[in-house]
Amino acid sequence: MSQMKRARDQEQVRHDPPANHSLGFPISRSAFLRGALALAAAPLLRVLPGHAGEALDVAEIAPGIFVHQGRYEVQSPENRGDMANASFIVGNDAIAVIDTLGSAKVGQEFHAAIRAVTGRPIKYVINSHMHPDHVFGNAAFKADNPIFVGHYKLARGLATRADRYLAANKQMLGDDTFQGIEVILPTLAVKEPVSLDLGGRTLLLEAQSTAHTDNDLIITDSQTDTLFLADLLFSVHVPTLDGSIKGWLTLLDSLKDRKAARVVPGHGPHAMELPAALIPEQDYLSTIATDVRNLIKEGKTLEDAVKIAGMSQRDKWKLFDYYHLRNVTAAFAELEWE
Amino acid sequence: MAISGNSFGRALLSGAVLVAVTLAFSPLARAEEDNWPSLRQSAFGDRAIANDGMVALDAPPTAEDAALVPITVRVPPSVSQGLKSLTLFIDKNPDPLVAKINFGPAAGKGGERSFSTRVRIDNFSYVRAVLETEDGSLHIANKFVAAAGGCAAMQAKDPDSETVDLGKTLVKTFPPALDANPIWSGQVMIKHPNSNGMQLNINTAEFIPARFVKDVTVKRDGELVLQMESTFSISTNPNFRFTFGKGANNNLDVAITDTDGTVFTAQSTPSGS
Repeated sequence: MSQMKRARDQEQVRHDPPANHSLGFPISRSAFLRGALALAAAPLLRVLPGHAGEALDVAEIAPGIFVHQGRYEVQSPENRGDMANASFIVGNDAIAVIDTLGSAKVGQEFHAAIRAVTGRPIKYVINSHMHPDHVFGNAAFKADNPIFVGHYKLARGLATRADRYLAANKQMLGDDTFQGIEVILPTLAVKEPVSLDLGGRTLLLEAQSTAHTDNDLIITDSQTDTLFLADLLFSVHVPTLDGSIKGWLTLLDSLKDRKAARVVPGHGPHAMELPAALIPEQDYLSTIATDVRNLIKEGKTLEDAVKIAGMSQRDKWKLFDYYHLRNVTAAFAELEWE
Repeated sequence: MAISGNSFGRALLSGAVLVAVTLAFSPLARAEEDNWPSLRQSAFGDRAIANDGMVALDAPPTAEDAALVPITVRVPPSVSQGLKSLTLFIDKNPDPLVAKINFGPAAGKGGERSFSTRVRIDNFSYVRAVLETEDGSLHIANKFVAAAGGCAAMQAKDPDSETVDLGKTLVKTFPPALDANPIWSGQVMIKHPNSNGMQLNINTAEFIPARFVKDVTVKRDGELVLQMESTFSISTNPNFRFTFGKGANNNLDVAITDTDGTVFTAQSTPSGS
């Protein structure tokens, strides 16, 4: 027994990354083959396949940076709220997690994926914004006693919506999967830029003005120049507007000049390149803005607008029918004041 | 390691979470009982209410954004009588009475009349419009609206932007497509949080007291079009579209009073079209 434990400890040490190097970890033969296939498809990606029901799949997109790609779906008992991207960054001393997915259950699976890589302490759990598919897995990290970090407006946004988020997710996830979900608000609120030192690498957290929501954070990893845009960047999955369309378009405009080695979207592939990654989302949002402005000019009502605005984008996105009308509604209510 | 930025008190926040969690399932519980008979009784007593097609209600079967659900009440052109009042209900809202509108002499006759606004819908609920015509009879239209699953919230997307320009009011008029049509349309929109008292002030971590528009009076060329009493079931930045009878100048004067007693006034810009 004690021998087994020691073996595990040794293994854990071996799993830990040497400073400034790519992680080394033992992989099984089948995992190696799957990894090799993934490598052929995307040479930069190293895939760590998860064991069903235990640990989620994660890919190492840059040294020490692991991303789990969520499904293009809405909450269901089958997906357990696994419908957004979630990441973790491994430093010499500590780990930071960015988003915890949509239930305590799937949060635990993400936690297991982290522990399959390293046993280092999880010091920070960063919530990129308030939406349930990014924060409802927080409870799975409580035992690590991390500092929960978020935009200074996240607490207000989530606390005032918590009852409805909980009721809606209980309904969509089903009672079993819903079990264990807790609303955990940040203990570190980010207003001015904050640096988090993980040992050998620093994360920079910047609070944004209202865009996707009124509490979006952008996170940058200094060592690999990786930008985590979370839900400020959607790819494949239609963007969802819960903040300000004008604010979001302004932010996207300013990001065009930002340089980064790679960017991680909140919904979409593990990693993408700037500035190309931004273009489809920019097209989508500016199409809605233009259409809605024209309809308002013609004296059309909100009911008219939702039937027409942005429909030219319908074939370009997944889950379009699920979110688009809501996006137009929000855009209309904002733009009619211009 | 550099850490800066504001941090909420842990205790304060866990208090907020507790409140939120306690409230979690109350909307679902409320959805199960039919409270219309008692609502109807308290508003109209034993008076007969006919579901006879003299009033129609447009509302989406599924709310895309439960905080901003457009509803339109129409009185078809076949109804020639003048209109006395219109009362709107959302059965399952914390305050089911959404608005009561009393029509004046400038409300108009001789074409389709309508009233539109945007409402908050707390949960799966019937929306009801009860029209009182000149002869004192009551007519009803009902629509069931399901709140869209997931991200819908009663709260504003950006509460801080609400206090900017508070009270800014726009009044527009729209002439009919055909000159012969005696019915014009008007629109009133006001920047106002119409807050329901459930929003958290981020600086003090206290709940912001309710403050909402409670009275809207619209006159055309000095004559009353409508006077409305409203509640916080009307969405943030209240928005009303209504018909009125064609007048000499078709200028609208609007006075809006909120629960703080603040009065906002505005006039339509002359419709140049």
